[in-house]
Amino acid sequence: MDAQKKIQAISDEFQQLQTELEGLVDARQKLESQQQENQGVQSEFAQLDDESNIYKMVGPVLLKQDKTEATMAVNGRLEFIEKEIKRIEKEIEEKQDKSEEKRSEMLQIQSQAQQQQAAAASA
Amino acid sequence: MELSPGSVNLASLSLPQLRSLQTRLTSELEHLTTSHAKLRAAQAKFRDCVRSINDGVTGSESKGTTGRDEILVPLTSSLYVKGRLTDREKVLVDVGTGFYVEKTPEKAIAFYDDKVKGLDENLVELEKIVQAKNSQLRVVEEVLRQKMLSGEGADAGAQSA
Repeated sequence: MDAQKKIQAISDEFQQLQTELEGLVDARQKLESQQQENQGVQSEFAQLDDESNIYKMVGPVLLKQDKTEATMAVNGRLEFIEKEIKRIEKEIEEKQDKSEEKRSEMLQIQSQAQQQQAAAASA
Repeated sequence: MELSPGSVNLASLSLPQLRSLQTRLTSELEHLTTSHAKLRAAQAKFRDCVRSINDGVTGSESKGTTGRDEILVPLTSSLYVKGRLTDREKVLVDVGTGFYVEKTPEKAIAFYDDKVKGLDENLVELEKIVQAKNSQLRVVEEVLRQKMLSGEGADAGAQSA
């Protein structure tokens, strides 16, 4: 059956889109938790007085860091994460639109096939 | 999503739809419960930190640790060496993302208490959601059972037979 093959192909594409969508949602979740952690550090730094000692873990050693330097690093990371989240959110939207398209395409072919069958039966 | 609660009459759904709703709610509930357990574990870890500072660094009368500098330093989870506490005034606190901040014990305790409090708020929120999901699931299961008992279940059975 021609219609069945078409439906199969579209359903495969639909599945593909769904897995891609899942991957993107996972990525966004990871970014969000990173964002939260960085925001926590940022607010912690904001409460510190300027003399407090800040160290950064680099591999197996702790390196002493300037407060302004550390704050800048965290701010930079937050900026980057925000951009990434926006980018991924846009991709998620695109994928959702595409899979919605596929879904309606599938339904259309299905109803067409049903109509043809009904016509054939009544003829 | 078409399944936002309250806007859809559950009784109007078909058996397969109800079943998929049931599995979805169950998996959501599972996910939320593991999150809940993780938050609890994190909270316990922070409480442990506070306890360690109180008993170990500051020293407590009742535990007999005041003024005693000998400690055992864990090198691995099963190997310890003797050490000596040389500084009770400063501790290094992991504030996340690889940053460590030097703090006084009092400030460190305040930091951890803050974390515990924040987690408490999250836990309360999460418990509310878990309860809501739980009651939703119960309603769905109830409707499902009624449908199975009444005509539709028999119909579906007759069709598949």
